Amino acid sequence: MLITYEETVKMINEGKVLHIAADDSLLSKLPRGKWIGGTTPYFISEEGGVQTGDRLFVTEIDYASDVRIANYGKYNIFQIVEECYDNGLTLLIMPYGSDTAIRYSKEAPEVEELLMHPVAGWISGFDLEKGGEAKVYDGTTGEAFTNRAVVMYIELPEGKNAAVNMINIFTDNKSDPVIKFHDKELEVRTCKVDGVEMNFQEYIEKNGIDTRMPLVADYNGAYINTSIKGVENGVVSLYAPVFRNIEYRFAVYTDDYVGKFRESIAEAGTRYPVFSCNCILNYLYGELSGKDILPYTGPVTFGEVAYQLLNQTLVYIEILG
Amino acid sequence: MEADVQEKLEKILKGELKYTSSNLAFNMLITKQKKMIKADPGSKEACMKELESFLAKYPVVAKVDLANIAML
Repeated sequence: MLITYEETVKMINEGKVLHIAADDSLLSKLPRGKWIGGTTPYFISEEGGVQTGDRLFVTEIDYASDVRIANYGKYNIFQIVEECYDNGLTLLIMPYGSDTAIRYSKEAPEVEELLMHPVAGWISGFDLEKGGEAKVYDGTTGEAFTNRAVVMYIELPEGKNAAVNMINIFTDNKSDPVIKFHDKELEVRTCKVDGVEMNFQEYIEKNGIDTRMPLVADYNGAYINTSIKGVENGVVSLYAPVFRNIEYRFAVYTDDYVGKFRESIAEAGTRYPVFSCNCILNYLYGELSGKDILPYTGPVTFGEVAYQLLNQTLVYIEILG
Repeated sequence: MEADVQEKLEKILKGELKYTSSNLAFNMLITKQKKMIKADPGSKEACMKELESFLAKYPVVAKVDLANIAML
């Protein structure tokens, strides 16, 4: 829920376990307590998409049997696999552009055991018009980080399991050409299209591809997006890396973003998310400002984590059982 | 795990049966294991064990998948 600074302070002082997303000017003056936070001024509230530097999006973690908070850098980020609760949920926030987020985005898909422990989270950001620095906060110490991840390990009571899932409005057309890349690239020059090596920028331009549409890869029926950041001087930069041996296609074009969201939400059935976050590109391209997509409220982010880094996706967590 | 479900899981990994879960992690795991088996066919048993461990570790989440796979 989107609440005032005073209401947030009250919840912290009452000892509540909280996940907080807000503008840095608010996060930086919060008292210490059992919370983690990340910077963003964009949110999807109950009333719809909103940009504000005056309120905080606060999610209470009231379903945990125990909680631990930690922070990690580039070299030890994958300790999360060893340090998590056996039956729990790992909530992760990393600053946009940080070495830690970049390493996580490149290595996570290959980390042993990662899929055995529910991990969800987001990439913190800033006001796109004003610019700024993405930060994360460890509320137990009040420390802010621009190059480290903060993690909340949430233990669940026996008989409960966490399920991390996503809503992705994009899909592919299996008759479109298959695009393959070299491994773990964030800046792409060449690719193979149906087995033929070519310059990726030339391929995009020649085929008049709308780069607001992401690349999609079919993971056993679940589509994982990789969004295009820019196309310039023979280089296509991406918001998440592409991987070797994965078949990509450009997503089928849609000009009814909000309609697609509503359709996908209906397809997902009745859900009771305890947390959700949605991509800044969905917010912008889908013109979600003022439009609600209930029951999925939460921060609007510079990347989403559902085990691995995702783009242009709504990620949510449910506690089942 | 029942032998019938185990047999169907093996077929899913070999690509002989098509199954999409409503559980993201399970879909990602199937994709990862299929890739591993393609690269090293000898890893099939280890991959099967990992799938079984996943389903055993999260019984609440796995209940739906096990029921759906049994009906394939």
